[in-house]
Amino acid sequence: MRKFSGSEKQTISSFASGLSAAILLIVLISLVLFIVLKGSAYFWPSQVFKMITYDTPNTEVSVFVPSSIDIDEFNQALSNKLNAQFSNSTLPMPLMVVEKVDAVYQISLHSGAIQYGKFQQINTPNRERYQLAALNDVVADVAIFQNQLHDIQTNYLTVLHRKIALLNQSGVGEKAPARLKELEQFTFWQQKAEALRQKLASYHLIFIDASGQPFDVLVKDINHLFQPNVMSLFDKVLYSGNKIIEFVSESPKQASTSGGVFPALFGTVLMVLLMAVIVAPFGAMAAIYLHEYAPNNMTTSVIRICVSNMAGVPSVVYGVFGLGFFVYTLGGSIDALLFSDALPSPTFGTPGLFWAALTMALLTLPVVIVSTEEGLRRVPEGLRAGSYALGATKVETIWKTVLPVASPGIMTGVILAIARAAGEVAPLILVGAVKFAPSLPVDGEFPFLHLERQFMHLGVFIYDGAFHNQTNTEGSSMMFASCMLLLIIVFILNLFAIIVRNKLRDRYVRI
Amino acid sequence: MLKLFETEILSLDKLTDEQTAIKVKDFSVWLNNSLVLNKIDMRIPKNKITAMIGQSGCGKSTLLSSFNRMNELNQKYAFSGEVELDGRNIYNKKENVAKLRTRVGMVFQRPNPFPMSIYENVCFGLRIQGKTERRMLDDIVETSLRNAALWDEVKGRLFDSALLLSGGQQQRLVIARALALKPEILLLDEPTSALDPLTTLHIEELINQLKKTTTVVIVTHNMQQAARVSDYAVFLHQGELIEYSDSDSLFTMPAKKQTEDYITGRYG
Repeated sequence: MRKFSGSEKQTISSFASGLSAAILLIVLISLVLFIVLKGSAYFWPSQVFKMITYDTPNTEVSVFVPSSIDIDEFNQALSNKLNAQFSNSTLPMPLMVVEKVDAVYQISLHSGAIQYGKFQQINTPNRERYQLAALNDVVADVAIFQNQLHDIQTNYLTVLHRKIALLNQSGVGEKAPARLKELEQFTFWQQKAEALRQKLASYHLIFIDASGQPFDVLVKDINHLFQPNVMSLFDKVLYSGNKIIEFVSESPKQASTSGGVFPALFGTVLMVLLMAVIVAPFGAMAAIYLHEYAPNNMTTSVIRICVSNMAGVPSVVYGVFGLGFFVYTLGGSIDALLFSDALPSPTFGTPGLFWAALTMALLTLPVVIVSTEEGLRRVPEGLRAGSYALGATKVETIWKTVLPVASPGIMTGVILAIARAAGEVAPLILVGAVKFAPSLPVDGEFPFLHLERQFMHLGVFIYDGAFHNQTNTEGSSMMFASCMLLLIIVFILNLFAIIVRNKLRDRYVRI
Repeated sequence: MLKLFETEILSLDKLTDEQTAIKVKDFSVWLNNSLVLNKIDMRIPKNKITAMIGQSGCGKSTLLSSFNRMNELNQKYAFSGEVELDGRNIYNKKENVAKLRTRVGMVFQRPNPFPMSIYENVCFGLRIQGKTERRMLDDIVETSLRNAALWDEVKGRLFDSALLLSGGQQQRLVIARALALKPEILLLDEPTSALDPLTTLHIEELINQLKKTTTVVIVTHNMQQAARVSDYAVFLHQGELIEYSDSDSLFTMPAKKQTEDYITGRYG
C-alpha cells in the first residue's frame, strides 16, 4: 500500500471531517423536513378515490378511500403493491380500478368519524325541502331545536332533578304533595325534551356509498360537509387553517385518530414548566454546594462523578424509581396522613402530574448541576475577591455577585432539561402520563391546579399513535402532526430560554 | 506647626501607638505548606503611604492581604504571629472578618467591577451593611466618585453598566467603591500595572490625595512609582523583611546590599 504524503493527509482529513459534518447536516435537515411534510399532510384536505375491486368476474366491491397523493401516484403505488403480493403467488391477480369522483362528499361528524358518500336527499319531518341548496335552512332549524333541548336540559331538568334529590335527602314521603308536584313538572319537561329529540332525529341527510347503498346521517351530527375533490385552493387553505386551530384547541376523538391534541399540548407544557420550577433551584443549590462549599477532596470528586453518571442512567429506571418511591411510598404516605377519608381510593398514591414533574426533575437534575457548575467555574476569581474585600460574607458574595454571573450557566442547564423532559416518554408512562385523561390538570375548581391528576403528554400521545400506524392511516398522519407540534413546542420553549439566557449574558458577563 | 508636622518624616523605630496604623508582630505565613513570609515585624505609620517592593513571589502581596485577612480565601493557608489594628489582634478568634474588611479596603491588580451599574458598584459595600436610604447613598456615591477623580467622566451615566468603562476608569471606580466605605486603611495591590502611563499618573495623584484621611499601603513593581508616591518603603526578599525605612533614604542610600541591587536592577 502506498504511503500518503503530508499534504495529502491534510486534504484527506479535512475532506473527511467536512463530509461527516455535511452528512450530519443532511440527516438533521431531512429529519425535520420529513416530520414537517408528513405532519402538515394531516391538515391538508385529502382527495377521495373510488376503488373498485373485481374479486370474481361477477361481484364487485367498491369503497371510497381518502388519499393525500394524486390519482396517478395512487395507481402506481397500488400496482406496485399488487405486484409485490401476487407476482410469486398462484392466485390470480385481482382487478382493481381507481377513479376520481367529483360528486363525492366528505362528511365529518362531531364524534370525529369521517364518512364518504354521494348526496341523495334531505329528509325533514314536514317533507318540504329536498335539495342541497336548502341545507343551510335545515341546519339553522336543527340548531334552534338543539338550543331548545339544551335549554330544557340545563334550566329545567337538572334543576328539578336536584330539587327531587334534596327532597329524598330530607326524607319527604313518597306521596307528599311537594314531591308529586316536582315529579309532575319533571315528567312534563322530560316529555318535551323527548319530543325535541325525536324531531331532531327526523332531520337527516341521505347519502349513497361507493357500492350504491344509501345511508343516513343525522343533520345534528354533522360537523363539516364538503366536496374534497372539487375544492378551490382558497377553500383548501381555509380548511387547513380550521383544522390547525382544531388540532391545537380540541380534545382527541375516535381513539386519538381525529380531533385535536390540546390536552396533550397543555399537559406537556405544564409538566415541563413544573419540572423547570423544581429542578432549577435544586440543581443550582447542589452545584453551589459542590463548587463553593464542598472541600476539594476525594469525596467531592466521587460525588461529581456520580452526578455525571446519573445523566447516563436509562430514563425508564427513573420511571420505575418514580413509581416505586414517589407514587407508592411518598404518595401512599401522603394519602395515609392527609387524605385518609378517601382511602382506599388513592389521591396522591397514584401516578399523577406532580410525581411526573418530580421524576423528570430528578432525571434532568444532573444536567442542571453540571452546567451550573460550569457557569460558576467561569465566574472570575477577581469578582469574588472584590466582593469579599468590601465586607461581604460568603453568602452575600454568592447571592449578589457569583450567582448573577453564573445565571446564564443555570439557564443553559434548564434549556437542556426542558428539551429532554418534553421529549421523554418511558418514565412518564409509569408516573402519570396517560393515553386519554378525562379532565385537564387545571380547571376552575379549587385549588385550580390539580397536581394529583393524570395528564396527557405529546410524547406519550405519539407513542400511542404509532400503534395505530399498521391499521389506520388517519391515525398515523395525526401522529406525524403531533410530532411536528412537539418539535415546535420544544423549539419555542428553547427559544424562550435562550432569549432569557442571552439577556442575562448581556447584563452580567463582560463584553 | 501643622505644615511642619505633615512633612516631617517620623522615625520608624520611635513610632508611638497613636502614629501606628498596623502593627505586625512576628508574623509568618505558609501557603501550600511552604513558607511565604518569615517572622515579619513592622509598624505601618498612620495616614502615610507605605510602598512594598520586591521580586515576584517575595511575599509582598501575601503580606498585604494579611492586613484584611483576604489570605484565608486560599486553601491550605497557615500562619503564626499577630497583626494588630488599634492594638487589637485581627487574627483573634472573635474577629468579625466582614467588618474588618470594611475598615481595611483593598484594590486589586486587575480592575474587577461588578456586572452592575456604576452607581450600584459604588453602593455595593453600603448595601451589604444594610444602608438603603437613597439620599445618603446618592451623597456617598458622589463624594466617592469625586475622591476617585471619576465623577466628571461618569456623572451623566451613573446607571449604565460599569463594564462599559475603560480599564483606567474601571480601576478608579474600584477605588471609589472601596472609598465609599470610608476605610481607615486602603491596600493597593499593583493598582496600576494594567494601565497606561497617563491613567497611572491620575491614580498616583489620587493616592496622594487620599493620605490626608487614609493610611495607604501599596504593592508595586515600578521603582519610580514607589519613589514618587510613597513616604515609606519596605523591601522584601524571599519572605524576609530586608529593609524598611523612609522612601528617601531607601531609594537614595539603601543600607543593605540586596536592596541596592534590587532597586538598581541588578537582579529581579
